[in-house]
Amino acid sequence: MTLTAPEWLKKIHALRLDRPIRIMNVCGGHERSITMAGIRSALPKYVELIAGPGCPVCVCPEEDVYQAIQLALRADVILVAFGDMLRVPVNVPKKKVRSLERAKAAGADVRPIASPREAVRIAQQNPERQVVFFAAGFETTTAPIAAMLLEGVPENLFVLLSARRTWPAVAMLLDSDTPGFDGLVAPGHVSTVMGPEEWNFVFEKHDIPAAVAGFQPVSLLAAMYSVLRQLLEGKRFLDNCYPELVRSGGNRAAQAQLAEALNDTDANWRGIGVIPSSGFSLQKRFAKNDARLRFPDFDTEGRKRAGQMPPGCECASVVLGKINPNQCKIYGRACTPKTPVGPCMVSDEGACRIWWAAGVRANAASDEKATADNMPLPSTG
Amino acid sequence: MQIIQINGFNALCEAKGVRREVSLYLVQGEQVAIGDFVMVHVGYAIQKMNESEARSVWELHDEWLASGADSA
Repeated sequence: MTLTAPEWLKKIHALRLDRPIRIMNVCGGHERSITMAGIRSALPKYVELIAGPGCPVCVCPEEDVYQAIQLALRADVILVAFGDMLRVPVNVPKKKVRSLERAKAAGADVRPIASPREAVRIAQQNPERQVVFFAAGFETTTAPIAAMLLEGVPENLFVLLSARRTWPAVAMLLDSDTPGFDGLVAPGHVSTVMGPEEWNFVFEKHDIPAAVAGFQPVSLLAAMYSVLRQLLEGKRFLDNCYPELVRSGGNRAAQAQLAEALNDTDANWRGIGVIPSSGFSLQKRFAKNDARLRFPDFDTEGRKRAGQMPPGCECASVVLGKINPNQCKIYGRACTPKTPVGPCMVSDEGACRIWWAAGVRANAASDEKATADNMPLPSTG
Repeated sequence: MQIIQINGFNALCEAKGVRREVSLYLVQGEQVAIGDFVMVHVGYAIQKMNESEARSVWELHDEWLASGADSA
C-alpha cells in the first residue's frame, strides 16, 4: 500500500485546485530536502513552497552571539558551540571581532562540537578552564541539552542557552493579518519529541490544513498531497506523514526531561522581536551551570544596532517566509556563503544558504516576485 | 542508526558503516534493544523507528472507500 515518491507526485498532479496555494515548512531540514530534491519545480505551478521559521541559528539574538564572542575572548574560557554558529556575524565596527570564528582567529579557544556530550567531555578534560556551551536550537536539540544537564555536568561547564520552540513563531504568523500560507508542513523531529498534537491549533484555531513530514521526498510529498487534498475537499486535520518516527504524544520521557531541567520563557527572535513562551531557561537547580548567571552581561548599553539583523540584511523577512531568499537585495551580491552578512547565509538550516547550495544564483529582488522558475531542476540522483 | 551495543544509557550505533556513540537517555520510556533502529540527533537517540504504516490518512480513507465499506 505504501506509495513511492513518484506516485505521490502523480497524485498531487491529479488534484485540481483552481487557485494559488502556498505551503509553508518550518524546518531547515525540510527546506534542504525540498530544495536539493528539486521538489519545487516538480509540483504543479499553482503550488508555492515557502521556507518559514526553521533555523534556530538565524533567529538567535544578536546580543547572545555578542555575549558568546566576549566570553570566548577571555583567556580562562573555552567556548564550544554547534559548528554553524561560528560564522554568524554581530553588528560591531569592522575592526572589532564580529564572529566566533574571528575570535578564534584572534586566539580565542573556540571549539565546534556536534553533541552536548562533547561539551561535557571537553569540560572534564579541562578542569582548570571554564567551558561555556553556547547552544541555539529548537526542541529536538534542546531535549538533549536537558538530558545532558540531568545526567550531571561538571562544575566548570556553563550553558549559554538560546533555545527556542517552533510552534509559537507559527502561531504568531497565524495570529497576524498576513500569515502568508494556506497549508503547513509541520516539522518531523520536533513532532517526534514534542508530539504532533502541538500543531493541532493550526487546523483547529486557524482552519489551515497541516501534515507532519519526515525528511525523505516520499514523506514530504505525502504531506503536501494531504494538505492540498484537505483544501480541495474542505476537510481539516493534522495528518502524520512520518509514522515511522512520529507517535501520538511524542517522546514523553524527553518532554519530562525538558520540563525537569528547563523553564519556559518569553524569548527574543533576532530581527523579529519577543515571542511569548518561545524560549527556555535553566531551572534554578542548574543555576551554578547557567552562563547567564555566572558571567556579567558584556553588552554595553547603546551599542549600535544591537539585537538587529545587519544593515541591508533581510533575514528576518526570509525567516518569516515573507520573501524568498533571493528576493533579499544582497543575496548573492554582498552576501554569499564565503562572505555571509546575515545568519540565513551562514547556518546549514538557513534558507539562503540552502538555496545557494542548490545553485540558485539569480537575485530576484528587482523582479516582482521570485518563482519556482528560479529553482534548479530536479536532480536525477 | 542501528544499535549494536548497549552499556547503560550509552549505545554504540552504526549507519552505513559509520559507528558512533549515542546516548539513550532521552528514550528511557522505550524498550530499546540491540538490533533496533533509532533516530539520532546531536548524539542522542530521540526515538525508536517503527515499521512504517500508512503514510497519510488519505491512504486509509481511499483504501476504505475502495473496499466498498460504504455502509458506515
